[in-house]
Amino acid sequence: MSVEQLQRIAERFPDAVVEGYTLHGDETLVIKRENLVEVAQFCKNEPGLEFKLPLSVTCVDYIDEKPRFELVYTLYSITTGHHLRLKVRVPEEDPVAPSTIGVWRGMDWWERYCWDMYGIRFSGRGPMRRLWMYEEFEGFPLRKDYPLRGRQPLIPEADVRDIYRGPGPGPGSPPASRSNPPRPSQLPIVK
Amino acid sequence: MTDEKKPSLPSGRDEATPGGSAPGIEKGPTTTPPADVAQRPGGEAKPATAVPNVAPASPAAQMQANPGMVNVTIDGIPVAVPPGTPIIEAAKAAGVNIPFYCYHAGLSIAANCRMCLVETSNSPPGKLVPSCQVPVAEGQKVTTNSPRVKEQQRAVQEFLLLHHPVDCSICDQAGECKLQDYYMEHDFRPSRFDMPKWMKNKRKDLSESITLDQERCIMCTRCVRFMAEVAKEPVLGAFGRGQREVIDVFPGKKMTSNYQGNVVDLCPVGALTSKDFRFRARAYFLTATPSVCTGCARGCNTFLDHFQGVPYRYRPRENMDVNQYWMCDIGRRSYHELYEERVSTARVGNARVAPAEAVRVAAEKLKGGPVAVVVSPVLSLEDALAVMLLAREGLGAREIFLSGRADGEGDDFLLRPDRNPNRKGVELAAQAFGLTVRGWNDLGKTKAKSVLLAGVEVPVADDQFASWLGNVDAVVALASNDTPVARAAHVVLPLATHAETEGTFVNFEGRAQRFLPAYPGRDDVMAGWYWATAIGAELGLAYRYASAREVWVEQSKRLPAGALGDFDWDKTPRNRLKGVTPLPGGTVDGRPAGWRQLVPLKTPTSAA
Amino acid sequence: MPEKHDSTESRVTENALEARLPTKTMSINMGPSHPASHGTVRFNIELDGETIVKLDPEIGFLHRGFEKSCENVTWQQCLPYTDRLNYVSALCNNFGFLTAIEKLAGIEIPERAKYIRTIGAEMHRLCDHLTCTAAMGMELGGFAPFLYGMEARELLWDRIAELTGARVTTSYGRIGGVEKDLPEGWVQKVKDTLVKVEEFRQEIDQLLTLNRLFIDRTRDTGVISAEDAVDFGFTGPMLRASGVPYDVRKAHPYWVYDRVEFKVPIGTRGDNFDRYYIRMQEMVESISIINQCFEQMEPGPHIIEDWRYVMPPKPQVYSTIEGVIGHFKLVMEGVKIPKGEVYSYTESPNGELGWYLVSDGSGRPYKVHCRAPGIQLVSGLEHMVKGSMLPDLIPTFDAINMIGGEVEQ
Repeated sequence: MSVEQLQRIAERFPDAVVEGYTLHGDETLVIKRENLVEVAQFCKNEPGLEFKLPLSVTCVDYIDEKPRFELVYTLYSITTGHHLRLKVRVPEEDPVAPSTIGVWRGMDWWERYCWDMYGIRFSGRGPMRRLWMYEEFEGFPLRKDYPLRGRQPLIPEADVRDIYRGPGPGPGSPPASRSNPPRPSQLPIVK
Repeated sequence: MTDEKKPSLPSGRDEATPGGSAPGIEKGPTTTPPADVAQRPGGEAKPATAVPNVAPASPAAQMQANPGMVNVTIDGIPVAVPPGTPIIEAAKAAGVNIPFYCYHAGLSIAANCRMCLVETSNSPPGKLVPSCQVPVAEGQKVTTNSPRVKEQQRAVQEFLLLHHPVDCSICDQAGECKLQDYYMEHDFRPSRFDMPKWMKNKRKDLSESITLDQERCIMCTRCVRFMAEVAKEPVLGAFGRGQREVIDVFPGKKMTSNYQGNVVDLCPVGALTSKDFRFRARAYFLTATPSVCTGCARGCNTFLDHFQGVPYRYRPRENMDVNQYWMCDIGRRSYHELYEERVSTARVGNARVAPAEAVRVAAEKLKGGPVAVVVSPVLSLEDALAVMLLAREGLGAREIFLSGRADGEGDDFLLRPDRNPNRKGVELAAQAFGLTVRGWNDLGKTKAKSVLLAGVEVPVADDQFASWLGNVDAVVALASNDTPVARAAHVVLPLATHAETEGTFVNFEGRAQRFLPAYPGRDDVMAGWYWATAIGAELGLAYRYASAREVWVEQSKRLPAGALGDFDWDKTPRNRLKGVTPLPGGTVDGRPAGWRQLVPLKTPTSAA
Repeated sequence: MPEKHDSTESRVTENALEARLPTKTMSINMGPSHPASHGTVRFNIELDGETIVKLDPEIGFLHRGFEKSCENVTWQQCLPYTDRLNYVSALCNNFGFLTAIEKLAGIEIPERAKYIRTIGAEMHRLCDHLTCTAAMGMELGGFAPFLYGMEARELLWDRIAELTGARVTTSYGRIGGVEKDLPEGWVQKVKDTLVKVEEFRQEIDQLLTLNRLFIDRTRDTGVISAEDAVDFGFTGPMLRASGVPYDVRKAHPYWVYDRVEFKVPIGTRGDNFDRYYIRMQEMVESISIINQCFEQMEPGPHIIEDWRYVMPPKPQVYSTIEGVIGHFKLVMEGVKIPKGEVYSYTESPNGELGWYLVSDGSGRPYKVHCRAPGIQLVSGLEHMVKGSMLPDLIPTFDAINMIGGEVEQ
């Protein structure tokens, strides 16, 4: 990967680029949150850059720094054979970043992973859904202040009428409460 | 770890026009930068020698800019320090850590370890100079990372390890040992030594509390200098020459100083070990919480080393105004009372009850009749404020009685005769609420029907006071240790020690010092302000506090203005040091690596 | 007089009475445990008849908190976690992770270690491709190729167990090389095993490749164009099936891939059959790579000698102070990788396995992110089967070779 390509992007978006450097052979460009989508489109479509393969988006939680979160986009260009890393800082008070699924559809699930694990919302793509955790999960597990073995509240059983299932919540049974879900043996068998 | 840090701009860029011209894209070095330049990951792609905002000015300009200071350049970083500063301190100011063994800021300079040798521009040709001994000179250029210096550090490390016994698995110092750290940093090569190691006395008793292992000693003579200069009891010396050299006491002498525990901290290797702490815990399991010693009224700053809710030792924390780098043995041993014979459950009579029930019974007992409020000056300032509030408004008292530990012998260094950490603080709190402070002897003359003991430390024998308490109708005690006094009380509420809650102690000079909580208390242990507030709530007061900070914020307004100088409650000592603790098994609430978060203390509203 | 219907007129005119039947799509749930899905994935499928209108894969049943666990242990202790990511080809994960650490620390591993890593990775690539193709056959109805594949895999696992100590969760590499050198006589055993594996591969080939049923199920099903595949972030056999010639081993050679000769099969139609056939051909190439490595390998050290990264040998740990200090610090504090961040990538059997590591200079990682190739493959599943019939989902999902461990970490 060459520094010239970084400089092309920097020249095209002088206001967007905060910093660019090479570390261990990886080229990295730190850009501002507002300009993410246009820089992404430029990287994808510009002949000579052509970063068409989206590898991943991930987020790093620098809990002691402000802004706290850093989104890291990794891109690859099959035609030029270069990798590129775009970094965007997202503050904790306003953890929103523009979504790049309009540029690469492959970023969809990685953005869901950032939401699921870090709580970063992406604007312009509808409500965020969790990817790995269940929807009722509270908190964002990969944040540094989430404990390693954090406890979660019990999810009340959803009322599902299933004729094949047998004992379970049925008509006339007390509603499942959070702290004391009814045990199946306690409930009448619903035919 | 930096706090307010925006993504940093590459150096050399015009700060006035951010993004105006095409920003310079830099190709950083692909070699590994020095690991101790504190920047966020990725930030050191910029050459390590670049400093963002200081352009190296001409020497004349520099001298004008920093009058009275000496300008030196350390590894390319210019710093200005007062004249007479040794290079090693100037380097610390520049963020460069030069390794050392024998140097200590509080002791005289020996320069015998030879680990801190650096290259300077004005040294004799072909020679390296010890940076702990050589003061800075104007315009000096110091290099600490040239190949020559690195080879010197490697060679010194290798020499020190030649006859060092293979003791890491049984040595107390493992995990906080300079030999280990510097070996991994500077000499990570295999051993070239193929002879038997020289053997010396491995467990020599220097006193009842210090053991010396002469084989591990690297002859830095820190202990010798300390005993001679600081403890003023020069009983240690270096005897012999070459590889037979040993540290020993002079014939017929023993270490008796009250400050001998400091040599254990000073010793960079595991040669001097404290018998009190020996083999009890591994240093990397321990978390160090900044705390204050409660042994006497000086309030030496300490680190309380604890693990899984048990304190293991105190170490002094540097504070040049209070205790410099030292603390006395009496204070060191005072950690035992933090966990021995504790009251951890609320009791009415001899039966354990729920805390809410105990509070209710306590409030009932205190309701009728005059109450004698006895406050121990071991309580923190916030606890005292809450107790005074309760006394004044809840119990209608006009005076409080000061108990506390009996006086002892002071000395001319750190130890004060007053063995209570917060006498000044309790007196100020009483003053804040307009309560008169009565001495201990006045307690016998009261006609009070009930007694509220906030803290059960008494200046007379425990049994004697316990039998006196037998004549009183109702005794409610906030007790942390299960002394005869606590057992004589009708209602006992378990009090948190200063390791389990946060607060302030005011020392004999009027200096307010904050301490941080190390671990949550066992069972029903709660802080003094919590119990006072709870009893007050039962008596009809409207105050509800959820933390010591709230107590401070509301009640400190009553303190006489300027009593505590420019004390800022929120300015806490440097946050607890991370241990390299593997996750302790059996915890339900795990913690992320290195972050010692506490399960929050229960709030008062859960008591009612 | 009623209109005469022309018998050739088949279209119903607008003013003729017609009963408009209300239809709605059927939502079915191809639940997490399903014999035809590779691993626990839940599909919420909306069907119109038998055509898939919408497909929403729901994953997360195997999420074990890989990243969070890695942040709480030392660098060396992360290694067993990486085993369990793509558990069918654990050595590829191990070595990929270690390559990333070595890139971050600036370490160059010895030549023999590079060869051993290549051999190990290719052997586990064989295992992974065998699993995928054999399972593909099984889920389309043919149990025999599956058993042949399993038998071949067992033989390979026996060799891997002799090398590393475990069949599947190997934890074989170390920072700076590999854990131990090749056992005595192992090379010849592997050569014999590879001959057997090739025989089994040919059996599967003969059973499936020209099989009418198999071709009908896999030809032109799950098609994705090259442009879409790139846009979705496909890598590996899925991308190459669509015609895009990207293989990390050829594009950015690492270890010894620039010294061995091998071909990379490229597909033309982007359908399941191409994906299957690419895997079959890649198996031939893997066997060839392993044999070439055996020829080219020279005796030498299998790990570097730097005790900042590598545990000292036990005789030295017990008898020299340097050894015990090195051992002690490495175990208790972890290998101190210099501060920085790196993105490193290798070709795992499913695609480009990327590792984004952030180190804060202490012995524990600050962030370990595994760019699992499977994630984007599964996210592109809807695009591939939308509009096809439900049965087309099966071979497509097989061809993706989603390994729950890496997709859900």
